[in-house]
Amino acid sequence: MLGKSLLAVLALFLVGQSPAWAHHSFAAFFDSAKIIKLRGTVTAFHFTNPHGTISLDVTDEAGKVQRWRAETNAPVVLMRRGWTRDSVKPGDVITIDGWVSRDGKPYLRLRAAYDAHGKAIGQAFGQNDG
Amino acid sequence: MMAKALSKRMAPAASPEIRQGLIGRESGMDWMRCAVRSGLAAWALVALPVAAAEQSPPDISGFWSLDMAPNVSDPALIAKLPPDTVVLDDTGVTEFPSGEFGGLKLKPEARAAAARWKPQDEMTLSRVCAAPSIVYAIQGPFPFEIHQTPTLIVFKYEYFDQVRLIFMDGRPHPPADAPHSKVGHSTGHWEGDELVIDTTHLAPATITNNGLDHSANVHMVERYKLSADGNMLKATQWFEDPETLDNNGARYIQWEKKAGSYVFPYDCDPSFAIQYQTIGNPADESGEGTPAP
Repeated sequence: MLGKSLLAVLALFLVGQSPAWAHHSFAAFFDSAKIIKLRGTVTAFHFTNPHGTISLDVTDEAGKVQRWRAETNAPVVLMRRGWTRDSVKPGDVITIDGWVSRDGKPYLRLRAAYDAHGKAIGQAFGQNDG
Repeated sequence: MMAKALSKRMAPAASPEIRQGLIGRESGMDWMRCAVRSGLAAWALVALPVAAAEQSPPDISGFWSLDMAPNVSDPALIAKLPPDTVVLDDTGVTEFPSGEFGGLKLKPEARAAAARWKPQDEMTLSRVCAAPSIVYAIQGPFPFEIHQTPTLIVFKYEYFDQVRLIFMDGRPHPPADAPHSKVGHSTGHWEGDELVIDTTHLAPATITNNGLDHSANVHMVERYKLSADGNMLKATQWFEDPETLDNNGARYIQWEKKAGSYVFPYDCDPSFAIQYQTIGNPADESGEGTPAP
């Protein structure tokens, strides 16, 4: 069970995922076989092309805070999937999952996002999308 | 090399008999001949508009969104690709990882450049909003609009706000040293119900989004046709680039028609590069300032 602002990094090795297309190469940039899941407090949400970004402060079990950033699909795609520029706001507690960056940075490509009540924000990515 | 010559589709001229029937004098003819001519005239009045309608090219205008169904193809279109062509399996959401080029045979210089390329190279202020050329861009999952007239067809893409003018008036490509761009210079013609577009003058840019770039002399030929019900647009995209490749490449792409939709502005914001660069920099976690060293 994930507590509020509690770090939960789950490495899930998945088979058969269809990575989302990116203006920079998804396959070269992200590990399509490794998904992480995080819960934290939003510090910023940028809703501009070529990718939106969600900045998230995540606190681990020892109380240390680390800032993660998730890049989303292009907002032109997000808008057709039920997102708006107000879908996520600073101070919101959300849970996200996505494909982790290959370069070791606290950076990922968003697959799905959920609000504090577990309700999906927009529509999940990764299959049949751009 | 595929033929670049244009072959404008012309309505065939009316036969001499028909022309005579329409404007010929009737004096001195027997009634049978007159009747035949009258019949021909009546047939011509009916048949010519029908023939003209049959010769009109299909209407491919509208909003087109990539068909994400797996393993789609059109054998008839694929069969028209020139020899020594490999069909790339990277259309839509699929992308090749580093070092994979789908069967394209790279010249040594191109292979060396691709080996030097790193994905992080693209995440800089100067690169992050640099549009790819249409060699790569047209196969992605972003939609586009087609606006069609007899002499000009406009492709308006959502991805990077790119706009292509397809000249259907028979003009040639400009001289080889004319300016190049990411959309190039395109001329088109109809072959039956298929739109064939020939594109040159493309500025160097990626082919497969993983370090392989085409040269300024790449030559691309696309062939478009509608499905029988008109709701699907099917295409092959073929390209040759002897400076970069020892064989030719192609993709098969198809899109669904979505009435009532339209292309959104892309308006690329390069500050996205800073969002990436500042991650992990404790001096600036806002994502707005100094990149991490």
